[in-house]
Amino acid sequence: MLCYSSQSWGYARFTHRRLPQFFLLFPMEAETFSDIRGQPITLDCQRHSSFCSEFTVSSPKVSIGKVMAYTCSVWLLAYFLFFFTQNTAVLSSAILVTLVGMVLHIHFVKVDHESLLVIGSLGIQVSSSYASGREITSFIEMGRIKDIVINEAVYMHQIIYHLCVLLREPAESDAVAGVVPLFQSSKPRLDCLVKVYRSCQEILSKVP
Amino acid sequence: MFWFQIMVENSPSPLPKRAIYGFVLFLGSQFGFFLYCLWAYIPEEWLHSIGLTYWPQKYWALAVPIYLLVALMVSCVVLFGVNMCNTAPLDSVDNITDIYAENQRGECQQKGGIPRLKDVSISDVNKMFYLSPRT
Repeated sequence: MLCYSSQSWGYARFTHRRLPQFFLLFPMEAETFSDIRGQPITLDCQRHSSFCSEFTVSSPKVSIGKVMAYTCSVWLLAYFLFFFTQNTAVLSSAILVTLVGMVLHIHFVKVDHESLLVIGSLGIQVSSSYASGREITSFIEMGRIKDIVINEAVYMHQIIYHLCVLLREPAESDAVAGVVPLFQSSKPRLDCLVKVYRSCQEILSKVP
Repeated sequence: MFWFQIMVENSPSPLPKRAIYGFVLFLGSQFGFFLYCLWAYIPEEWLHSIGLTYWPQKYWALAVPIYLLVALMVSCVVLFGVNMCNTAPLDSVDNITDIYAENQRGECQQKGGIPRLKDVSISDVNKMFYLSPRT
C-alpha cells in the first residue's frame, strides 16, 4: 500500500468495506471554490476512465484559532463561576466538557471531505469522512438511479443549489421514489456543482 | 353583463355604508376604551359603594395588556419558527415533484395548436440550463 502525504500526487488505498480506489499515475488538480457560507473548499475531479469518475470536495480543516478561542472562553467563564461559588467542581467539569466536546465534534460533526464515485452501469458511491477518520459510505446501484440533478431548495432562510440523486423503483421507471442530497456538509456553490453535474451526465448518458 | 355586475358588488372601493360602519366601530371602540379606563382608575371601594361588586381584580387591568403585547412579540418569533419547521428537508421528494405533476396527462395536442401547460421535469430543466452550450 503506497501512501503519499502531499496533495499533488495520487494515492492508493484498499478497504474491505467499499469499492477499492484506483492508483493514479497523474497529479490531481484541486480547484478552489467557495461554499454557501463563503468558506473556501476544494474540488478534486479524477477521471479514472471514460465511464468512471470520482469527485472529492474537501472542507477547510479545524482551525487552531477557533479551538483556542472556544477553549479560552469556556475556561474563563468557568473561572468566573468558580470565583463566586468557590467550588472546584466547576473548573474540573469545564475541562471535561471542553475535552469531551472537542472529541465529539471531530468525530460526529466535522466533515473533512466528501466524495462521489460514479461508475457507469454499476452505480454511485457516496462517502463522507470525518476529521477523526471515521468514514460513512453508501452505494446506490444504477438500476435505482433515475438521474443526478441540481435542484434549488429552501434551506433555513435562503435558497441554495444542491446536487442530488433522484431514485426510482427498479420496476417502474417514471416516478421519483426518493432523493439523496450530495455534498451536504460542504454545500458547494453553483459553479462547483455545474462542473460535477456535467461530468456525471457524461457518464450517465452513456448508460443504456 | 351579469359578471360585470357581480364584479362591482365585490369591489373593495369606499362606499357610504362602509364609511358608516367604520365610524360606528371607531366610536364604539373609543367608548369601550373610556369605560375600561374608568374601571381601571376608580378605586374598588367607590365601585362597591355604587353597587358594582362582581368585577375582575384590578390586577388584570395591567396584566391583560401586558399578556397581549408579549404574546404578539412571541408570535412573531414562533411564526418564523413554524415556517422553518414546515419547510421540506433537502432529502424530501416534495422539493422535486408532487402528485399533480406526476399524474399529468400525456401529450394530446392537435396539430398546430398551443401545447398544454404542464410541469417540466427537473432533468429537462437541468439539461437546458447546464448542458446546453453557452453562446
